[in-house]
Amino acid sequence: MDLKAIAESLSKIEQDSLKALSGGGKMNAAELGEKAGVGIDSARRAMAWMTEKNLVDLSESGEIMLGLTAKGKNALEEGLPEERMLNSLSGDERQSFDDLKKSAELDQQEFNIALGLNKRNAYIVIVPGKQEIEITEVGKDFLSGKSGGSALSGIENKDESEVGDLIKRGLVEKKEIIERKIKINASGEKVISQLGNVKERKYNIHGEVPKIFIGKKQPYVQFLNSVRRKLTELGFKEMYAPLVVQEFYNFDVLFQPQNHPARSWSDTYQLKNPKLGKLPDKKVIKAVKDAHETGGVSASSGWGYSWLEEIAAKLMPAAHGTAHSARQLIHNLKVPGKYFAIARCFRPDVLDATHLIEFNQCEGFIVGEDLNFKHLLGMLKQFAIEFAGAEEVKFYPDYYPFTEPSVQLSAKHPDLGWIELGGSGMFRPEMLENLGIKGQAIAWGIGIDRLAMFKLGIKDIRYLFSEDLNWLRNSKMVLD
Amino acid sequence: MPTVEVEKKDLEKLIGKKFSKQELEDALMYVKGEVDAWEGNLIKVDMKDTNRPDLWSSEGIARELKGRLGIRKGLPEYKVKKSGISAEVDSGLKNIRPKAAYAIAKGVKVTDEFIRQMVQLQEKICMTFGRKRDEVAIGLFDLDQVHGNVRYYAADKGEEFIPLEYKVKMRLDEILQEHPKGKEYGHLIAKFDKFPLLTDSKGDVLSMPPIINSAGSGKITEKTRNLFVDVTGFNQEKINTALKIICMALADRGGKIESVEIKHKGKKLTTPEFGTKKISVDLDSARKMSGIDFSNKQFLSLIRKSGMVGKIKGKKAEVTYADYRRDIIHAVDVIEDILISEGFNSIKPEQVEMDVIGHEREESIYLDKVRDVCVGLGLQEILTFVLSSRERQEEKIGLKGEKFVELANPVSLNWVIMRKRLYPEHLGFLFRNKNADYPQRIFEIGRALELGPGNETGVEEKEKLCIVVSDRRFGFTQMKSVLDAVCSNLGIKYSISDSGNPAFEKGKSGEISMGKKRGVLGEINQKTLNEFGLEMPVSVMEIEL
Repeated sequence: MDLKAIAESLSKIEQDSLKALSGGGKMNAAELGEKAGVGIDSARRAMAWMTEKNLVDLSESGEIMLGLTAKGKNALEEGLPEERMLNSLSGDERQSFDDLKKSAELDQQEFNIALGLNKRNAYIVIVPGKQEIEITEVGKDFLSGKSGGSALSGIENKDESEVGDLIKRGLVEKKEIIERKIKINASGEKVISQLGNVKERKYNIHGEVPKIFIGKKQPYVQFLNSVRRKLTELGFKEMYAPLVVQEFYNFDVLFQPQNHPARSWSDTYQLKNPKLGKLPDKKVIKAVKDAHETGGVSASSGWGYSWLEEIAAKLMPAAHGTAHSARQLIHNLKVPGKYFAIARCFRPDVLDATHLIEFNQCEGFIVGEDLNFKHLLGMLKQFAIEFAGAEEVKFYPDYYPFTEPSVQLSAKHPDLGWIELGGSGMFRPEMLENLGIKGQAIAWGIGIDRLAMFKLGIKDIRYLFSEDLNWLRNSKMVLD
Repeated sequence: MPTVEVEKKDLEKLIGKKFSKQELEDALMYVKGEVDAWEGNLIKVDMKDTNRPDLWSSEGIARELKGRLGIRKGLPEYKVKKSGISAEVDSGLKNIRPKAAYAIAKGVKVTDEFIRQMVQLQEKICMTFGRKRDEVAIGLFDLDQVHGNVRYYAADKGEEFIPLEYKVKMRLDEILQEHPKGKEYGHLIAKFDKFPLLTDSKGDVLSMPPIINSAGSGKITEKTRNLFVDVTGFNQEKINTALKIICMALADRGGKIESVEIKHKGKKLTTPEFGTKKISVDLDSARKMSGIDFSNKQFLSLIRKSGMVGKIKGKKAEVTYADYRRDIIHAVDVIEDILISEGFNSIKPEQVEMDVIGHEREESIYLDKVRDVCVGLGLQEILTFVLSSRERQEEKIGLKGEKFVELANPVSLNWVIMRKRLYPEHLGFLFRNKNADYPQRIFEIGRALELGPGNETGVEEKEKLCIVVSDRRFGFTQMKSVLDAVCSNLGIKYSISDSGNPAFEKGKSGEISMGKKRGVLGEINQKTLNEFGLEMPVSVMEIEL
């Protein structure tokens, strides 16, 4: 590097330091700092930088200094055992061995040392014939005359001969202190002559810089927001999705018989408090009851059992997103229409790398007078393109209690290969006809968690609700 | 959804056709079966349709595939001869377990695979279709050890027999208390004074339904040639269906099925009886719903492929199907079957043309705006669970006797209630991130639930914003600035009053009011920090949105 380039790379501190050194002799950091008008830490850094740039010559010399050991530092904070003993005796002048150990917080070894030293200095006496210690007048004088605190303070300035005992006790040690001094060299002096030509300092643009953690949305939220946006772009309207629902919406409206095994305790959560919710108006209740018992106004035979309102009124944390579609069928349904919900759902599972106890389901339906099975397949194909970037799809027969026919969608994801992307089907006539809905409704659900895990680059599903702040801070923005 | 294990070679033998692995996986879609795993030649198949118990065995899968693959056309048919054996069903069982159905299968060749399939089918039917033996319980017996006619009655608890797995006689009530099956299923009959018992003409016990068979005739071995089948429950039609499914599987293995005459309250009933049912399908509606303009002939051909037969009468088709198909309760169930026979993947998808406008809920839009404000403040969003524990939501923050929305059947002590507030979850989050760089600045927007007796669900679901900062140089004043920034950017007016919240530092915390909405703000006190194992100072604000 030429001199001009070196001059341009110098910081203000280095420039000032170099000037301060010019024409002079060796300086240590404190001397340099004072002369250059910078702090001692800055001077130390400048020394290192200038040495690296070969503008100064560095010399190191060792000096023996006294310093506190770790034990000594501790004793300085808490007081030496002998001092603690005297301090305690200054309050209560005569104490038994045991009391004194307690009051001065001394262990047996510390007590022995303190007893020996204080006795030697005649600060204390042992009361003859008794296991008791009493402070002497000499001891009191010593305490009252003691102004500078502990014998351990200011140890650096003491002479080795004064602290022989403390060294033996491992409180003080001799340390070799390396002192660095620098002296400007010929290139340094030449660079000073170049400083006048420097207009702007050039930074080391390759160096490390401090990290900034920005504020941002949780990655899974970012992903769900993009799903929400895509669905609205496809014409879907977002539904109300409460966390707690009546079994009526989770099961009954969906034509799931009340003794169906999927309604058992092992498959869904139920509530202890509150227990029961309100059901919609009598007409709707009767329509659902009839659907279950006899098929109602539909041509179906129904399930042939006696349907109970009390069971339908039971409350539960929503177990699937279709519960919200069920509510929509009853409240403010517009035909034709497209609906969706991204809903938090709950299942009594164990939390592990592949299971969540709470998860999000993305479900909805399309309702219209002239919808048919081909439209169902068409909708699924569109979902495969929109959500998985998949042109190739396969349809498999599937089963849901509330749809017939039912279809499972497999899509060929460009990175993941064939994946089960979602389920779908046409709502059963027992539901639609009894609720007085004309036409067909195509219900669907997309398995968004798998896609989210792919987008977020995670293998452990728990990271969707990540508890790892570093991971969240370092996560990239979710781009569509 | 039951998972069924089938052996590939055995299945191929039953169908009469060999498959590659891929061909078999593709064919299984006809029975809504999804391969869960291959273990050598053993396939574990998830059977999705919970209303088709007839498919839950190799025999059942083979029966369905034979139709769909064109090896058999139309209805599967099974012949039944009279056995001459009768069964008396006592009316004393009325409330206990009143219904029974019986059959006999002769000349069965018992192999390992046969036993495995029969045990599996029996178990799947009893567990899923039979609601854990409550509605259907099945017993298989060595007919050659059954003497004469049988009698099913409500027996005294003091009667005795040797149950399977045991060597000594046990009283019926002892079986309930001591036998593993008694402990597992005893609750189904325990409350009655008498228990169901099936005996032969010599008085030897066959079984105590729905608990356990006897160690005598109830033990099937490779030497067994002739079988007696017993099904009990509450609904005659349901147990008849279960009996027929078992008999079809036995017949598919070469068994000759014979019927038993049941005498009950002076009436006679013969089981099994393979019948058919009819359903009318409106052809125009079928065409409209499927979107396929099939001819009548095509329709009938698809019907036969689906294991049914049909006749066209004007604009309707009269479809006849085997009466064990209890899943067919509406014409759509037939339409699905013909679409499956047609093959979903050979039907051309069509775009939905619908002139509607999509939009998010206003709440979603608003909450995302709040998120934008928080991101602008440099906060990292986190997500926590709604399910929580009393320990976190109450004890650790110094509260007692709080009312929560509470689960009736929690599976873990960690997830018992639904959260009422977000910040305790965030204090837990901070604990798990003590090694991450400070300052730590996080937020969450999420639901918090309270009891709301006036509401439809008795629950009030509130959207809350929680902001938590852990930093030595960040306290009440800084958090109030944050609150101020959030509220002024969202146009919310608020006032602050003194807080008595035990989780917060007195004098450095406040209650927030925003009209009817509430919130809390301040520095978390040392006691609460200790409860959560935190060393750095923490400030919190949480408001209803």
